[in-house]
Amino acid sequence: MTERNTGIKPDDKIDQEIGEAEQEILTPWKLVRRKFLKRKPSVVALIILAFIILVVALAPIISPYDPNELDMTNTKQPPSKEHILGTDELGRDNFSRVLYGGRVALQVGIFAVIIQVIVGSIIGGIAGYYGGWIDNILMRITEVFMSFPFLPLVITISAVVGVSIPAEHKMYLVMVILGLLSWPGLARMVRGQILSLREQEFVLAAKALGIKNSRIIVRHLIPNTVGYIVVNATLGVASAILQESALSFLGLGVAPPVPTWGNLIQYARDIYNLQHRPWLWIPPGLCIFATVMCINLIGDGLRDAIDPKS
Amino acid sequence: MNNLLKVKDLRTYFYTDDGVVKAVDGVEFQVKFGETIGIVGESGCGKSITAMSLIRLIQSPPGKIVSGNIIFDGEDLTQLSDEEIRSIRGNDISMIFQEPMTSLNPVFTSGYQIEEILELHQKLDEDQARKRAIEMIKLIGIPNAERIVDEYPHQLSGGMRQRVMIAMALACQPKMLIADEPTTALDVTIQAQILELMNELKNKMNTSIMLITHDLGVIAEMADHVIVMYSGKVVEDAPIIELFENPRHPYTIGLMASMPSLAKEGQRLETIPGVVPNPLYLPKGCYFHPRCKFATDECKKLQPELREIAPGHKSACFRAEEVTR
Repeated sequence: MTERNTGIKPDDKIDQEIGEAEQEILTPWKLVRRKFLKRKPSVVALIILAFIILVVALAPIISPYDPNELDMTNTKQPPSKEHILGTDELGRDNFSRVLYGGRVALQVGIFAVIIQVIVGSIIGGIAGYYGGWIDNILMRITEVFMSFPFLPLVITISAVVGVSIPAEHKMYLVMVILGLLSWPGLARMVRGQILSLREQEFVLAAKALGIKNSRIIVRHLIPNTVGYIVVNATLGVASAILQESALSFLGLGVAPPVPTWGNLIQYARDIYNLQHRPWLWIPPGLCIFATVMCINLIGDGLRDAIDPKS
Repeated sequence: MNNLLKVKDLRTYFYTDDGVVKAVDGVEFQVKFGETIGIVGESGCGKSITAMSLIRLIQSPPGKIVSGNIIFDGEDLTQLSDEEIRSIRGNDISMIFQEPMTSLNPVFTSGYQIEEILELHQKLDEDQARKRAIEMIKLIGIPNAERIVDEYPHQLSGGMRQRVMIAMALACQPKMLIADEPTTALDVTIQAQILELMNELKNKMNTSIMLITHDLGVIAEMADHVIVMYSGKVVEDAPIIELFENPRHPYTIGLMASMPSLAKEGQRLETIPGVVPNPLYLPKGCYFHPRCKFATDECKKLQPELREIAPGHKSACFRAEEVTR
């Protein structure tokens, strides 16, 4: 008798658990979150990135000095108690500049991707949904954008347009340039998804129930591709940060005195600094590396979590 | 005038690279208020295209409604602008489809999808729409409506999804519901439930139903009036009992003979010999003559018109008076 009781108990518990699981409504996002949390490297990356974002966002509180405050009596200092990462040749506190540089780098990355996602998904959505000659025209335009050599074009644009823009606004120019040049990949992917989605009956049903084409694209089709868009956008942030750094390093991106990780490294770009004052260029370099690495890991985790086949 | 819908000489052609496909070629029929009309025929005979033409959902190009009038509730749907026809879809004429697995949007809750239609056509605000959505879900016989509104399609079974689809279609109390093979993808017990539900709702809301199917059993159970189509043409048009008791077209007779029956035991099922003609290369004369055992020389040369052979009973066959089961 007792044996039977113990035999039954675990089953009861399982039943109860199933009952509770059924109570909870599993939204698609809850499923994704659950799968994502199982990927340890991505979770660690997310924590690190959250930390970086937090520190960078709180830069005005955390940083000990104004990033643009000159202190000519205190130039080219090695790390010390007052200046954790030393000072540059104008006596500005390097640690503060790294923090503020992070703000710019992340902002550029995020806004460039927002532009990219908006342009890419709308163009991809329209092309995929309407098909025919509209698709043809939009995709040819996309291909034109894709076949530009990226770096020379960016350099040319920022050199030509950049001269008429004050230094403190140059970061917006970089955002727009990066955003407007990197949408083709996303547009093609969204179009591909929508080409197959539009053949599904729910699109026909939506039409049969009188929903407008524009609403079908924006409210019914694009949300179905949001998984792919999120993954792409995440990875896009990483590459936008890298590109911004590259541009700023070349002196064509965000212009001094506005600090960014890219132009902080550029400052240190001479043999003496490289050899003798690594505190100037290693920290921003590490920041770029860590941020991009984390974002890529998160992107991979999201891809695995969103893709139902994995 | 007690006709809700009157279709006259509807022609929908598809202009393909290989030639013109006359998917719907001179179809005529009427639907009365509160009536269920069944459209039967083999795959590719133009049943679905007829339905899609009614609410102008023909993909264009390559499709085009070449001629004809669709008089719905006193208005000619073929003359309306895109904006006007859109406000009729879902509001006055709704449609449900064959595949419940894919006819709901996977990223929205079932409630949201019903609410969207209500907000669009009835201009309800969010709260009212939600209340109405819950009412609709109760109406279609799903228990636990408060919970189901927040569930996603993947959490519902096929039968439940088809019910939600019906709720979406009927949310605005349309005057007509087009059901394109609504039960084909469901298993038999669920089929019966869905058909019963449709009948019940039809009586409650006084909705006319246009039921497209290839299942004569479903027709027998549901329809008041039947249209038999073959190669884009109506070949027979009769009230349900008249059609089953007294079919007057060789194709209808063939369809009925090829239904499994419990009465005749141990025989092979009869079939209609031959195949549906390729719509690009339709035979001369009556489209059905190569497969028809009653065909004469006349049938090979001329195309029979749909004509009334008894009150309310039309057949497109030269020998309609002679052919019987």
